[in-house]
Amino acid sequence: MLEFFRSSAVRVALAFVFVTVVATTAVFGLVYLQIRAANETRNRVILEDEAAKSVNLSVDELRYAFDLRLTHDLRRLDYAALFSADRKVMFGNIDELPAIPLDGKSHFVAASPLPGDKRLEPAVFVARTRPDGTIMLLGRSLLETLAFRRIAQNALTTGLAPMLLLALAIGAFFARRASRRLTAIHDTIAQIMKGDTHLRLPVRSRHDAIDKISRDVNLMLDEITRLLVQIKGVSDNIAHDLRSPLAVVHAQLERGLESSDDEELRSVTRQALAHIDRAMLTVAALLRLADVEYGPKSSKFRPIDLSAICTDLFEFYEPLATSKSIAMTLETKSPVQIVGDGDLMREAVSNLIGNAIKFTPENGKVSVSVAQEDGRPVVRVRDNGIGVEPGERDKIFQRFYRTASGHRVPGSGLGLSIAAAIANLHDFDLRFDDNAPGAVFEMVGRRK
Amino acid sequence: MTRTISTRARTILLVEDESELANEIKIELERLGYLVRTASIAEAADVARVGDAAMLIMDRMVFGEDSLKTLEVLRREGVKVPVLVISALSSIDEKVRGLKAGGDDYLAKPFAMTELAARIEALLRRLDDVRTTKLRVGDLEMDLIEQTVHRGDSKIDLLPREFKLLEYFLRHPGQVITRAMLLQDVWQYHFSLETNVVDVHISNLRKKIDARGFPSLITNIRGAGFMLNADA
Repeated sequence: MLEFFRSSAVRVALAFVFVTVVATTAVFGLVYLQIRAANETRNRVILEDEAAKSVNLSVDELRYAFDLRLTHDLRRLDYAALFSADRKVMFGNIDELPAIPLDGKSHFVAASPLPGDKRLEPAVFVARTRPDGTIMLLGRSLLETLAFRRIAQNALTTGLAPMLLLALAIGAFFARRASRRLTAIHDTIAQIMKGDTHLRLPVRSRHDAIDKISRDVNLMLDEITRLLVQIKGVSDNIAHDLRSPLAVVHAQLERGLESSDDEELRSVTRQALAHIDRAMLTVAALLRLADVEYGPKSSKFRPIDLSAICTDLFEFYEPLATSKSIAMTLETKSPVQIVGDGDLMREAVSNLIGNAIKFTPENGKVSVSVAQEDGRPVVRVRDNGIGVEPGERDKIFQRFYRTASGHRVPGSGLGLSIAAAIANLHDFDLRFDDNAPGAVFEMVGRRK
Repeated sequence: MTRTISTRARTILLVEDESELANEIKIELERLGYLVRTASIAEAADVARVGDAAMLIMDRMVFGEDSLKTLEVLRREGVKVPVLVISALSSIDEKVRGLKAGGDDYLAKPFAMTELAARIEALLRRLDDVRTTKLRVGDLEMDLIEQTVHRGDSKIDLLPREFKLLEYFLRHPGQVITRAMLLQDVWQYHFSLETNVVDVHISNLRKKIDARGFPSLITNIRGAGFMLNADA
């Protein structure tokens, strides 16, 4: 949930809601203010006009006119009264002269008692001294205006709540949609980082900002992949170019060995040959790896039986295990059919079994099992040997990585990389698991 | 006349554009008593057509040209000379293509000269006679029909794979057999190993076929592989 509110999409949605609310309130407020201003202007004009017209009437005429106004023309005047020069009310519906200048101009009075009512309401008054010294007061209540304001406020609150909800819903919808797309992008990037460099970010045909960035990232990934292949190509080329010189040096050393009787020289030559042999092994393994990883996908994919392959390899390796007093067992029940390159699969499993025997001390155990688990083909090679230190577990599939404890055992350090590449080619995962003590390597089909 | 035939029997045509490697191959093979002629792919094809070579060694790519095409043409013409393809391409697919095109064996670079020499000898002395029913070295006899092995009067029980292993040695007596050849031809494994599992198989076989008090029939050849003593 916290994650949800942290997402930029949700923030945008909330900002959207806020802006909507402010804008709506402002519109309502503006309409209200304009109507009120118009209302006030009208009040003022009426009052001032009325006061000006009435100023020269006689007291009796005025009394009559006031009665008429107050009883028949409620729309125009709410207050009318005549005060004597000493400000005592003579007649009218208001008892006290409000504290306003007697200038015939309208003035706002915040609270004045309504006729026949105890409530105090805002009103507009005009007071004017008549030629006979009496003071005429006309006024209009602002109750109507207030009522209108209340209506406006009600409209605002009743209208705002649903709108707020709607805005929130729309915001959440877009946020969810955007975050779903971001999640998809995030997941894809995670997979790319795990090594599926052929994957690309999803791009839809909407041409929005996310699509634009996705497209840019995809272009960048293309470029990175191209550079990566180029770099690997360079290292493969180096390996490639080393083949002939290595073969030549090897041949020359062999020749030197044949033709010399100097025992010291022969011993040195033999050591050099052993080193060249190791270099040739590594170069061959490196090129083999390049072949599997980047070579054209093998044209020899056909139905093969993993059980048969493992049984064959088990028989091949058993004498080696026996010579080290390692108890080797095989567990297969029925054929496990997959579509693949039998030669490559044999190579991968051979690397796993060879490794297991290599890293298991005398009197240890190595077991090979082939099965269909949850509909997925699984080949598992388990040993109780030296295993892999926790800190090294994520490195063992890297090219040339050799564990600290495995350094004394000869090998190119590419066996597991080749096995992993072959597994990947067949849509299998090669995984390590701790056998406490020892190691479990399993090749598991990704698809059922 | 006799001389011509024996010369032909020892003549190897070498098609390899990397001159230094070609030179090393030439020196090594001449040391072993072969006559080596380096040639372009076209020259080699012409010599092969008139039957003047015991075998061909050809690089898969010579000056950017795929020599397998020429090989295919030669095979279509019915030229049967043994051909060893050497190549910088090591994938099994490439190996298969090389053999399909008519190569008799395929060796990926880098290789040791001992490996090359062993392959050449195996090709030149190949027993093509499939009608052979019995193989014999000294008092060791293998009956291919009965699938039995006897040493003198006593029967030797072998596992199926041990039988095949021994058969391979009996078919190449007195020749250097490398571990790679055994992996490829006995087990049909087209990859290299980082364990000495082949040696263990050989030592198990020795325990079964060797007679007490006599030197082993199969000897180790240092830095190369094994050899069945033909005159045991």
